[in-house]
Amino acid sequence: MPDSSFDRKLENLLEYSESPQPETFTMDVMRRVQRERRTRKLILWAFGLVGALFGLAGAIMLSGSITRLFAFTVTMPVTETMQVVLFIVAAAAFYTWFMNDDLPLDS
Amino acid sequence: MISDMELVARVTGSDDQAAFQLLVERHQAAIRGFLRRLAAGDYGTADDLAQETFLMAYRKMHTFKSSGSFVSWLHTIAYRQFLQFTRKHARQQVMAEPPEQGHDPGQSVDAEILVQRLMGFVSPEERACLTLAYAAGMSHPEIGQVTNLPLGTVKSHIQRGKHKLQRWLKDHDHSIPKDKTRTGATPAQEVHRA
Repeated sequence: MPDSSFDRKLENLLEYSESPQPETFTMDVMRRVQRERRTRKLILWAFGLVGALFGLAGAIMLSGSITRLFAFTVTMPVTETMQVVLFIVAAAAFYTWFMNDDLPLDS
Repeated sequence: MISDMELVARVTGSDDQAAFQLLVERHQAAIRGFLRRLAAGDYGTADDLAQETFLMAYRKMHTFKSSGSFVSWLHTIAYRQFLQFTRKHARQQVMAEPPEQGHDPGQSVDAEILVQRLMGFVSPEERACLTLAYAAGMSHPEIGQVTNLPLGTVKSHIQRGKHKLQRWLKDHDHSIPKDKTRTGATPAQEVHRA
């Protein structure tokens, strides 16, 4: 049998009091949202630019003879190639982490 | 009045900042109040977590399913933010701090200190279940969804928490302050005590 009088007392006691400065809080949240939007736009632009540069480089390489492409891969040292791969993986990981909109909330 | 669902649709559809601001204005008191209870009086931390909650809600808005209530969804995020915070700061105990004088004009400082002390006396899970049931007016299944706990566990947390508080109040001969008037941000709905 629930103690209804105590339930009522508890309801009264635990009830939220008025939160101070609701306008300031809302403004702070909106400021952070705007900052986040700007950062996201900047990242999108930066990654878009890098992607475009890669695309341009690929187009230039493929526009000439196919032997030019092979020559490029042969002359490119292994260490540098691995560094480029690592850079791309790190960039992709950063992008996924920051723009993780599609990850489920309950994960 | 525009419904929450309509505002959410505006935010997800056309990234309407004004609609999101309206959602923040409408629910800030409930989320801040909930986190203040969870943080047992650490107002600074509670407000930081509340900001994080709304930021996360903005990021994840498109994952919100219209079948549920928006305010429950916000409470879910807030509770997870709190759990994440306590995990990160496991070594630091969340201590109750007396509120500043005049901090809360709608309520007596004595009553607020008593609530903080009480909240420090129960476990975080009990704190969450009790607050959601008695302050936010949620039903037990709703609390289960917010806290991701089975219904039976929610009920036992509420019962255990209630007994602890009842015993503490009895042992310390505390009566509920009379001037603890209803100034609440979210009028507590009828608690469905199943």
